Amino acid sequence: MDSGDAVLVIVVAVALAFDFTNGFHDTANVVATSISTRAVPPRAAVAFAAVLNFVGAFVSLEVAATVAKDVVRADAVTPTIIFAGLIGAIAWNLVTWYYGLPASSSHALIGGVVGAVFAAAGAGAVLGDGLLGKVIVPAIVAPILAFVVAGTAITGAYNIVGRLRPGPTASGFRLGQLASGGVLALAHGTNDAQKTMGVILLALIAHGSIPDAAEPQVPFWVVVSAATAIALGTYSGGWRIIKTMGSRIHKMDSAQGFAAQGAGAVVILAASHSGYPLSTTHVISGGVMGAGAAKRLSAVRWGVAGNIVVAWVLTLPAAALIGAATFGLTYLFGAGAAGPLVVTVLIAVLTAAALVRRSRQLSLAGEAEAAAEAPS
Amino acid sequence: MIRPLAAEVVDWGSLLEVIVVSLVGGVGVTAAFSLAVLGAVRSVDSARERRPVAAGVFGAVAIAALAGCLAAIVYGIAIMVSK
Repeated sequence: MDSGDAVLVIVVAVALAFDFTNGFHDTANVVATSISTRAVPPRAAVAFAAVLNFVGAFVSLEVAATVAKDVVRADAVTPTIIFAGLIGAIAWNLVTWYYGLPASSSHALIGGVVGAVFAAAGAGAVLGDGLLGKVIVPAIVAPILAFVVAGTAITGAYNIVGRLRPGPTASGFRLGQLASGGVLALAHGTNDAQKTMGVILLALIAHGSIPDAAEPQVPFWVVVSAATAIALGTYSGGWRIIKTMGSRIHKMDSAQGFAAQGAGAVVILAASHSGYPLSTTHVISGGVMGAGAAKRLSAVRWGVAGNIVVAWVLTLPAAALIGAATFGLTYLFGAGAAGPLVVTVLIAVLTAAALVRRSRQLSLAGEAEAAAEAPS
Repeated sequence: MIRPLAAEVVDWGSLLEVIVVSLVGGVGVTAAFSLAVLGAVRSVDSARERRPVAAGVFGAVAIAALAGCLAAIVYGIAIMVSK
């Protein structure tokens, strides 16, 4: 194995780790609505979402093709550049997780890769038209679309079932959420798993492992490994949610849950079919807010909406900056595997330190809360 | 005439297709499922009130609406898989 092969192995491993964290992070978005309306028991919801995320990754490969062909020039990319882009995305996800900002893993991934390519090969290697037309404009349109679709759908639903007895009506929509939650998990797999596939495909093209670089096909092992990583991440993320979620999430009725999940699923599926790599987090949030706003404007946590806008504006440039800086750092070590290895160890140490510090903070906050509630 | 950059680089036809499909699919499936719930609840109520014709009609509405929902989901996934 030469140093080029070693870098490729590191890139694939880091990409799959990113995919795992993507599933881990997004479990809440996919299953929260079903759990909050008591449509599905938490354990079943998480297992169901993990399986359908896996299946969804096989449904379409349009998004992978967009990431591999339409965002940066494939002939200007090297595995080290892809590595730097991935680290940009992971580092930004870590920062936003630490500060509780609802950032998009997808935007971070694309921003990281664009930043690293820009630093390594200049502005000419970034496909501005593809970035604007296939990433930025759809990213603005999709959450607003999900908001409008969910709002319109729940208004229609209330007009149809508004005079029925509430008990059986709620039970009916809870049954429906089995399907809408399932399709949402499937949709999540069609869009999010493919971004990792696209990045691995780019690294394989740069390494010379793909024979037809002009019309690259995603190798089957890439599809299977990306699908497995996101499904395992979804399943692992679920246990944390089962323990901590419950009462924290916004309560909605089962009809709203059905409309929100349906709107999120249909927007993500339609976008995946056209090859648009969306932020599934923002689309699902748009659907939940639309379903809430149609019933009562004050039911929507507009502060969360504001945080999403802030995260949206910051993510692409911030991940791009970190991706560019990471490329600069690896460049200091030459073209071999030393740079990626050093950076991987560095990011692993930083991640562990952030996890320890955050868990200490949460533990202290919990103790303070318990002390405040204890009778004096 | 200078056209805005977005007009040049965005495939508005494709984006419009996403918008139309999302609106029709999202609103249509929720409306169809709401009709299925309406039909099912009214059918049970009618049967309890010993009105068999109404129970049958509402039951048929529920089944037809549910079949519409399932058909829409299967059709959507089939289109994605076939591309």
